[in-house]
Order: sequence, then structure tokens, then C-alpha cells
Amino acid sequence: MSAKQDRRDKIASRAVQVGFLVALMGFWYFATAYWGVNRLLLPNPLNVWQELKDVLGSGEYLPDLKVTLTEVAVAFAISCSTGVTLGYLISRSQFLIKVFEPLLAGFYSVPIILFLPLYVLFFGLGEGSKIALGTTISFFPIVLNTIAGFGYVDRIFITAARSMGASDVQMFRYVLLPAAFPVILTGLRIGFTVTLLSILGSETLASLAGLGHKIVHLAEAMETARMFAYIAFVVVIAAFLNSVVSSVERRANRR
Amino acid sequence: MNRPLHLQKVLYRHPGLARLAVVVALFLLWEISARWWIDPSFLSPPSRVVASFGELFETPGIPKALQITFWELAVAFAISVAAGLPIGLAVGLSRFSNRSLMPIILLLYGTPQVTILPLFILYFGIGPPSKIAFGVSHGIFPIIVTIVAGVQNIKPILMTAAHSMGASRWQIFRWVIFPHMIPTFFAGMRLGMTGVLLGVLLAELYVSSAGIGYFTQLFTQAFDPTKLLGLVSVLAAMAIVMNEIVRRAEVHFGRWRTD
Amino acid sequence: MTAGDAAIRIRDVSHEFGEPGDAQFVLALSHTSLDIERGELLCLIGPSGCGKSTLLNMIGGLLTPTTGNVEVHGKPVRAPLPRDIAFVFQENALFPWCTIIENVKLGMVFQGVPKSEQEPRARKALEAVGLKDFMGHYPAQLSGGMRQRAALARALSLETGTLLMDEPFGALDEQTRMILGEDLSVLLSRSEKTIVFVTHSLGEAVFLADRVAVFSARPGRIKEIIEIDEPHPRSPSFVTTEKFSRLRNTLYGLLHDEIRKAVEQSATAVPQP
Repeated sequence: MSAKQDRRDKIASRAVQVGFLVALMGFWYFATAYWGVNRLLLPNPLNVWQELKDVLGSGEYLPDLKVTLTEVAVAFAISCSTGVTLGYLISRSQFLIKVFEPLLAGFYSVPIILFLPLYVLFFGLGEGSKIALGTTISFFPIVLNTIAGFGYVDRIFITAARSMGASDVQMFRYVLLPAAFPVILTGLRIGFTVTLLSILGSETLASLAGLGHKIVHLAEAMETARMFAYIAFVVVIAAFLNSVVSSVERRANRR
Repeated sequence: MNRPLHLQKVLYRHPGLARLAVVVALFLLWEISARWWIDPSFLSPPSRVVASFGELFETPGIPKALQITFWELAVAFAISVAAGLPIGLAVGLSRFSNRSLMPIILLLYGTPQVTILPLFILYFGIGPPSKIAFGVSHGIFPIIVTIVAGVQNIKPILMTAAHSMGASRWQIFRWVIFPHMIPTFFAGMRLGMTGVLLGVLLAELYVSSAGIGYFTQLFTQAFDPTKLLGLVSVLAAMAIVMNEIVRRAEVHFGRWRTD
Repeated sequence: MTAGDAAIRIRDVSHEFGEPGDAQFVLALSHTSLDIERGELLCLIGPSGCGKSTLLNMIGGLLTPTTGNVEVHGKPVRAPLPRDIAFVFQENALFPWCTIIENVKLGMVFQGVPKSEQEPRARKALEAVGLKDFMGHYPAQLSGGMRQRAALARALSLETGTLLMDEPFGALDEQTRMILGEDLSVLLSRSEKTIVFVTHSLGEAVFLADRVAVFSARPGRIKEIIEIDEPHPRSPSFVTTEKFSRLRNTLYGLLHDEIRKAVEQSATAVPQP
């Protein structure tokens, strides 16, 4: 394929993407403005825009945002510290890897969302149950990636470092850590994404505060336009946080 | 002094045995702490959970609720595969559609869908249709994305070889792309199953009038950890079995890759 | 050699990648003409990027020349001619999801061989390369050398007049390629096939070829053609003869400067993104 054709292809595919978004918005607008779709089911996009401006302008979202972000931060901090520490300790012995890795991977295949009712029973409807769920869900990708990172460093690097007389500390600092770092970082990124998702999810399912709770509350009050505004807000926040985490990962890997 | 050393050697040679020992130890810890340390209205020991399985299944509505959940999972999975496969093929096999549509699919896949769970209930009601729809919305994207990736990572030399031997377009699809894709397809189905389980269970736990979500809420409010743990274990077992079926199929059809 | 005898006739063939003026533009092969006789084994040897594989792919119809044309048995080549030409590639080009015998049969399926003929022809070809005990294995279960034997069996079973081999032993270790080369010489001496064989190995070229075409560095041209007048099948002791060393040294002399030139070219070339 020539470069010229390639460029034309790129423009055409951009056009399809823009066309898709425009058609979607157009369809939404016409459906609500002219085709008589119930406003309680699907609000007018202009209404949603008004509501969004109101939400952002009034700062009404701040308490819920604070609750959600605090839960995410606490859960992620706990799962990072425990996941990386445990993963490192397990990775020090091939025997422990053989024992624990399949166990952890098997446990991870159970939908952990099922723990939510138990956590609500143990910790109540408040922040405790959200943090517990977020920690449980993100613990697994972090610990598994840490094991994979430290446990499967190519023997040749270790042999080479030993042959040059590296001490244990030097081995960790110059061989194990740099070799494992990208894999662990991937685990942390996945862990962050699922923490965010599970916190939002558990707030939606059973909670007293937080952005997920706010959306449910608006849905029950049938304030659909405002709910759409909040959904848009949450989607943008989630996309922003995830892209920050991804770019941190990319930048760290570029070194 | 001699015995523990011997035991150590046995465990070392059989990590599976050691794994089993870890699981047993965890259950023992759970049993002991639930019996003597923790308030019985929060946690009950595994022995009691198992003993009350019979009682759980006799609770009016429970068998029906499990049946409904199972059915929702099956239908959502079937729809995800039936729709995800052709979409994945259509997007993956053409350079142009891949370039133009893939970013849209990844965008949808990347949004936290749980925030629009209330919308699903608003549109599809609190019965099975909303659970199925939410399950599909979680299951279909991993299937599409995996199939697109699978169709594309065929080694070019294999296409060249088939081409050099005079294979027609259909023959290339039938003998090269299709068999190449089968393991990927099962990998996609496995991820799809994980997604469907998450979606359906999320929707069930969110709101439900006769499904398992209703009962988890009931048992939570009644501080009945025995039945709650029993129900959760049954659901976890259901999830494990469904995951395992797809995983076995994946291994079986991907034999040529590993042996 | 009279022109009418040529099985493959290459006339003024060039090949360019990209468009002139582009940063990625490459003139891989420049105005090359060559006749290859029926039943001859011709080796193409030259530095990396000299266009020898490009030429092979143009003979096989996998690439279209920018200028000039290629004829096989008097027919112009515009697309693959699976009835006349079979390929053996450098990489492992067996389908990993098919067993060895299924792989061999699949070539015949593509070529349109009747079903009843496929099985006996596949068995015969696999026996010829010494793989009859491994017909039911998957490629991943075999060593690299055995996989290349299977790829050769697949090409032989197609019963084409011409065989194009693109560094078929390139990915194998020295000892395996030595044995495979000896077996290939025996195998091919019994057939009437016209063979074009791309290689990097001087020894392999001298051992196998009737003629060796030495390419210059990019833009590739045929610098010289060396005749190896030693009857087939060649015995392993040919390698130890004074004649073998003399021919090998001649090739080395011809190639050495070109390889240096090619290495310097690639060092100054724009790095690929």
C-alpha cells in the first residue's frame, strides 16, 4: 500500500468515527425532541448539558467525589502494599510459586463481586465494605503480576550478574527489580482500573454515599437528565484517571 | 526430628499436596475463628454452612432463583458469542473497518459500564431481560476484541505459503484463518464468560424481585451469614464450573499449540 | 545454452519498494536478466538486502516486478502458478494446527489434486524425506530440521517442475543443515526439477548448485555466475576436496566486498520506525 493511499485510508476511517458520534448524538436529539420518546427514559441532550453545567457549577458533586476517591485511594494503597509484598515473598522460592500461584489464579476466576453481600454484612453499608471489595478485587492482579515479574526473570541475567560477583542487594537493585518492574507496573495499572470499577460498582449496589450512590439515587428519583449528567461526569473522571495511570506506566517503561 | 524433614521432602516434591494443605489450613482457620472468636451473626463456620445446604435449598424461592440466574447467564453468554463472533470477524478481517471501528469498540469497552446499570433497569425492567442485557454488555466486548486480535496475528508466512500453493480466498479462510482463530475464539469465550458472570451478578445484586439478589439482601438484613455464605458458595461454584467448561474447551481445541 | 531450453526466463527485471522520493524508497533489484535451464539447480547468493529473495518471489508470482518480466515454461508469471512452482520458505511455514501429513495434503487441496491421489502422494513425499514415522505429529512436536523436511515434502508432493527455496535451512544449526544439504542433493539428483535456491552459506551453495549467481550489494545486480561442474548426487567427501575449497574461495572473494558495502549501507540507513 502506498503512502498516499494510506493517508486517504486514515482520513476515511476518521470520518467513519466522527460520523458515528454525530449520528448517535443526532439520533439522541431527534428521538427526544421530535419523536416523542419519554423524557423520563431518555432526556433531551440539551437538558443533560444544562444539568451538567449546573452540577459542575454548584460544586454539588464534591462530597460524593471525595468519598469515592478516598475509597479508591485507600483500597488501592492496601492492595498495592500487600500484593507487592506477598508477591515478592512468594516469588523467592520456586516451590512457593508452584503452591500459591495456581491457588491465587484459581481464586481470581471466581467473580469476586459475590463477596459484596458478605462485606456489607461484616462492614455495613458505609465505606468499609467498598474498600474491602476494592482491595480484594485489585489484590489478585497485583500479586499475580508481582510473582510473574520477580519469579520469571531470565536465568541468564542472574547467572551473568552472579558471575560478575553481584551481592544479593546488588542483584535485587540491578537485576531483579528492573526486570520485574514493567510486569509489576502492568499489575498495578490493572489493579487500579478494577479498584475504580469495583468501588463505583459497589456504590451502585449498596451504599450511603459516593458517585455510584448518587447515580442510583437520581435514578430512583426519576431525575433522568441529572443522572445522565452524573454518568457523563463519572465516565470522564474514570477515563481521566485511567489515562493518567496508563501514561505513568508508559513513561516508566520508556526508561 | 526425622519426621518433619521427611514431610518437608514429600511436600516439596508434590506442590499440589502443599496447595491442598494450604486450602485445608485456611478452612480450619475460618472454622476456628467463626466458632470461638467472631460474632455468629456476622460469620458462621464452614461446617455449619455445608450442613445447612439442605435447608438453604428448601427455602421457598431459592431453587427458582438459582435456576433464573443460571438461565440468565446462559442466554447472556449465548447472545454475546453469537453477536461478538461475527462483529469480531467483520472488524478484524478488513483493514479499513478495523481502523475505523476498533477505536469506537475500545472506547465502549473502556467505559465503566457499572455507572449505567440503573439505565438498564430503567429500560429493561427489574426482570431477567435487564440482567441479560447487562451481562451481554460485559461479555460481548472481550469477545470482539480477542477475535480481532486473533484474526490479525496470523504469521504472514502462513498466508504467503497458502497463497503460493494456489489457495483461493475461501480456502484461505477455511484452512488458515479459521483454524488459526479457534483457540483465540475460545480464549475470547473465556473472557466473555468472565464478563457475563460479572454483568449478570452485578445486575442481580443491584435489584431483583425473585432472583438471587433478592435473597442476598434478605439474608444480609436478617443477619443470617449461614445461608448467605451458602448461597454465595453455590453461585461461586456455578461460576467456577462455567469458567472451567470454557477453559477445558479452549485447551482441547488449542492442542496443537502446546504439545 | 540455447534460449529455447530455459525453464525460467528473467528479462530486465527490477523491483522497487515504495515510491521514488519517499524516505522508505528502496530499489531492491535493478535490471536483472537470467535464464535458468530445465533441471538445473541455481543458487542465488549475496549480501542481505541485495534482492535475491525478491527475485525468487517474483519468479514465483508472489511479487510483481516494477519493470521487466518473468516467464516460466514460456508462460508469463503474473500470479502464483501452483501447478508449475512450489515454494519452500526459510521460516517454518507449516500450518501449526495440521499434523504433518495434513500439512502435506493441504498443499494438494489448494492445488486441486483429486482426493484419492492425496494420501498416496503425501505418503510417498514424506517417505522420501524420511518422515514416514512422524506423519501424525503436529509441527510443534518436531525439531526445526524435521519441520523443514516436512516443508520440503509438502513442496515435493505438489509434483511441480520448479522448486523455489528461500534459505530453507537458514534457521537451522550448522550440523543439521549439513545433513539436510546432503539428503537434498541425493533427493534432487533423482528428480528432473528446476530449482532456484537462495542461501547465505558459501559452502551450501558450492555443495548443492550447478551454477551460483553472485549478487552485488543494493541495488542488487548479478555480479557474476560461477559454474560448479560436479555430478549429482554429490558425496559428502566433495566438501574435503581441493576443488571445493577453490570454488568456495572464489565465491568468498566475489562476495567479501559486497557484504562490507551492504553492512555500511545498513549502518547509514534511516532506522525503521
